[in-house]
Parts: sequence; C-alpha cells; structure tokens
Amino acid sequence: MNTPANILVVDDEMGIREGCRRVLAEEGYDIDLAEDGTIGLQRVREKAYDLILVDLMMPGIGGLDLIKRIHEIDPEIILVVITGYATIETAVEATKRGAYDYLPKPFTPEALTVLVRRGIEKRELRLEAQRLYHEREQRLLELAGEKSRLRSIIGCMTDGVLVTNMQRQLVLWNAAAVKMLRLSGTDEPGRLMDHCLKNRALVESLDRILGSQDESFSMIGQEIQTDNPKSVLMAQMAPVRDEQGRLLGAVTVIRDITKLKEIETIKSQFVSMVAHELRSPLAAIEGWLGVVLSGEAGDEEQRRKWLLRAKERANSLLALVQDLLEINKMEAGKVAQKMEAVQLTDLVGKIVEFFKPEAERQHVLLEMKPSVPLPAIQADVRDMEKLFTNLVSNAIKYNVENGSITIETSLDAHFVGIHIRDTGVGIAPADLPRIFEDFFRVETKRTNKISGTGLGLTIAKKIVDSHFGHIEVESQPDRGSTFSVYLPYKK
Amino acid sequence: MKASGKILLVDDDPDFLEMHKAVLQNHGYDVLTATSGQEGLERVRAEIPALIILDLMMEKHDAGFSFSKTVKTDPLFRKIPILMVTSVAEATGFRFSLEDDGYWMKTDDFLDKPVMPEVLLERVDKLLRKRE
Repeated sequence: MNTPANILVVDDEMGIREGCRRVLAEEGYDIDLAEDGTIGLQRVREKAYDLILVDLMMPGIGGLDLIKRIHEIDPEIILVVITGYATIETAVEATKRGAYDYLPKPFTPEALTVLVRRGIEKRELRLEAQRLYHEREQRLLELAGEKSRLRSIIGCMTDGVLVTNMQRQLVLWNAAAVKMLRLSGTDEPGRLMDHCLKNRALVESLDRILGSQDESFSMIGQEIQTDNPKSVLMAQMAPVRDEQGRLLGAVTVIRDITKLKEIETIKSQFVSMVAHELRSPLAAIEGWLGVVLSGEAGDEEQRRKWLLRAKERANSLLALVQDLLEINKMEAGKVAQKMEAVQLTDLVGKIVEFFKPEAERQHVLLEMKPSVPLPAIQADVRDMEKLFTNLVSNAIKYNVENGSITIETSLDAHFVGIHIRDTGVGIAPADLPRIFEDFFRVETKRTNKISGTGLGLTIAKKIVDSHFGHIEVESQPDRGSTFSVYLPYKK
Repeated sequence: MKASGKILLVDDDPDFLEMHKAVLQNHGYDVLTATSGQEGLERVRAEIPALIILDLMMEKHDAGFSFSKTVKTDPLFRKIPILMVTSVAEATGFRFSLEDDGYWMKTDDFLDKPVMPEVLLERVDKLLRKRE
C-alpha cells in the first residue's frame, strides 16, 4: 500500500492513546484517536480505517459491542483488542466476534508495532482478495454478456453462420443456417456435422480446413447448390485459430445468392436479345449500303430507293434504342412521375385526333365513343400519352383494310376503364400470354410487313403497373382485339 | 459462261429478300422468293430451283434447320445446294462451322449477314458450278 495506513485507537485511558500514537506515528502510519466507543464509531463512519485498536473495557459502548458495530460498517477492517484482563476467555470471545488478535496490557512498543504491522499486512491481503474476487465476478459477467451478445448478433443475421470444432461437431449456428442448409438434428448435442449437414460438398470443404496443417491457409469460397428448396448458396469457410495460431475449428458464412443468379441470367438473356434486335436492322442497313456501293443499282432512281430503305431501317433502329432507353429509365426508377389530375376522355380524344390522318391512309375508321363520363384520375400526363399512343398506333398497324377502331369507356367502384376495340388481325390464343414480353411480336403473314420494336406493349404494361392499374386483352384471330386499361380513381 | 437455273430466296426480312433478289437479277439469275419455311417448301416442290438461299432465323428459331432437313432428306430435292445466310451466330451464342455442324445442318455453305454482293455472287456461282 503506497498511502500510509489509517489507524484508529479507541481507548478511555489517555496514556494508552498517546503512547500508541507516538509509537505508531514513528512507523509512518496516520493515527486518529477516540476516547470512547461512541466517538470511535463516528470516526469509522467518517473515514476508512485499515486497522483499529479497541480497548475492551470502556464506559459507554463496550469493546465487544464496538467490534460488532464496526464490522457492520466494514467487515474487512482489522480489529486488534487491547485488554487488561489477559484471559483466554476474553481473547476467545473477542476473536469469535471478529477481532484479528489481542494485545494484553501492559505491552511494549515492539509488541505493538509487530502486531500492527502484521494486521496491516493482513488487511492488504484481504483487500487484494476482495479486489480479485470482484474482478473475477466482473469477468464472468462480461463473458456471459459477450456470449449472449454474440448469440443475439449471429441470431439476427440474414446470412447463415455455422461453427464447427476440431471434433467435427457443430458448436454454434443461427436460424438462417438452419433454413438455408436444412440443418437437422441440431438439438442432439455432440452429433457429428455429417449428421446435421446434408450437403456433401460443404462437409468435404470443412474437412479440408479441419485437416489442414498449413498455418497460412485462410479461406475457401464455394458456390453450393441445394435441392430443397432449390437455391444457390455462396459459402465462405475459414479456420478459427487461438492466439498461438492453433486450429480450433472452422467457421462458415452462407449467403443465399439464388435471386442474384436469376437476375444475372435474365440480364444476360436480355442483353443477347437486345444485341440480336439491334443486329437485324444494322445488318439490313449495311446490306443496302453494300449493294449501293458495289454499283448494283441500275440507275439513280433505284439507288435512291435503296438508300431510302436503309434510312427506314435506321429510323426503326432509332425507335428501338429510344424504347430501350425508356424501359431502362423506368426500371431504374429514374422517371419522376408528376402526378396530376388527368381527364382521360380528353387526353385520349386528342390522341385520336392526332392519329386520324394515319388511320385514313390505312383506310381504317377511328372513332371515340365514350360510353360513360369518366372522373379525373391522378396520373402522369406524359406516361398516359405514351400509353394510349402505343395502343392506338398498334390498333391501326394491326388492323385490316376498311376495318375500324372504337374507343369506349367504363367505370366501376374503383377503376376507370378505357377500351380500344379493333377489327384487326387478332392474336392467336397461344401468343396471348406472351404479348407483354420484351421484343415479342406476333408473326404471321399479315404482320410481316408491319414495323415495330416489340417493346410497345412492354412499355404500356410498365406504365399501367406504375399507376397501380392493370391492362387486359381479349382477342380472336381475324376478328380483332380489345385492349382494356383500368386505372384507379379516388371518389 | 454463267451457270443457269432459278434461285429460291427464303428470308423473313423483306429488306434482305429484295436486296439479294436485285443483286442476283442484275447478274442474270432467275429469282423466286418466299417469306416463310412453309412457303419455301411449296416453292421447292413446284419449281425445283437450282439453288436455295436460306435465312436461318425465320418465324420459329429452328425453322431454317427443319427446312433444310426436309429438303435434304427428300430424294427428289436433296441434290439442290443450300446456302445458309444467318445473323444468328452471336445472338444465340452458336458458332457454326461446316466441319462440326455441316452433317446435321445439311447445308452446303453458309454466310453471315449482311452478305456483300461480290461475296454472294461468288458463292452462288461456285455452288451452281459444283452441282454441274
């Protein structure tokens, strides 16, 4: 102890008090004095003492009583009894009550200092033991907290976690791992990992880690296929080592990458589809330029005709790229929709007026026949224009000579309906489910000459979906098709 | 001396049909056209062309294959050379070569679209001469 020990002397005899002080002060202790038990107790309450010398025979509170009451305040204080009645009984009684030792009167300064030094040493030992005990308690608490914290953290991870020891037993795992790997028998402690883990590839990799002598061995990353449920998992496996680098087991972290794999496939399919769709018009353009450049054209008029054909394909290529950009923007959610009150009857009416000349050229009768007045809906005007432009333009393109297009309206409790009825070539039942797919175009002899990107209905559907509506189609080959758009409105 | 005979073009792209037709007619060939495999087969049966130029990707993705298979397994027509013209190779990840695929594709030659006039004429001439 670096600071001097605090010692209190409680004795009603002034000679003893002063004598003790003189002797002990010389030894370097801090000394306080009290002339009776009451004052002594008060001192103990005010200050922390290491050792107290107590006279057994005092007026007021007696020595034995005082010992008891001091220990109620601090049980670790060393109490040394000073007694004039140096009998075995009083000494035994005092020790029973918790005194450390006793000093019979009269005593020599040497006897006092030796006893006090021993008592102080005892006090230090007691304090040290107490500190160690608290420390250990604290550590155990921390450890328990750490363990439960670790379990909570691992438990709420969406990635699967699995720890195996050197005896090839599962020692730690979470719910995600149970679900992804279909772990079974985890409630039977001590079973080998082969028992719980059905995936052979994973067990083999874990065995490789557990059997590895190589200290620099760090990690295995592995894709794993599971059958039930059918999924693709990414497993990272690494050895767990102690501070000396000795192998303790292996940890596995598993992530479900099924969705990512699917997206990857769809993406690469889409890219190859787009590449093909871009290649066709480009090849045609190059072909036309090729025949012109080779001087195959007989005269200026033919050359001009061929260049115009190339220009048409270039136009359709441009339209395709435009549509692709549009779809890409929609899918990336980059289009900020500006929702405002839109009167669909007016909007569709304007589009009908715009397409009238085109319809006349194709000898198709285009009419607006709103069956019921429609309430305004909340929608993006640009989107609505694009949606109905695509549908009306399709109805003209896929119509027949002297055919007609009628646009009607309907209304129910939640949705307004716009129906575009044509008398065109229709769609075969087999093709119906596919018409909203990217690049799908109905191909028949009659549709062969019709140009289109194959993305018009894809865009239409995306617009309707983004407005929480739905689009339906009814069709009969050679009789015509009706496209119905339903959009929600607020009453 | 130009090899004689009618050439049947089968292609669902009207641009290529017209383009190839113009080039071949410019160089003195008789040209027949068809826009589908079905129509093409009808033409083959009715006119027995000297050469068929076929686009692989028609209304169905395997229409070109089944067309050439039908022609090449028919004793009446199997001597008619078929020149396969395709833009399918990269898009589908196929890579054709006569060595690997010639047997079951049952065509005599193939070219990637677009075909430049000189190349088309040279191949057509070669196939027709070989036949004679």
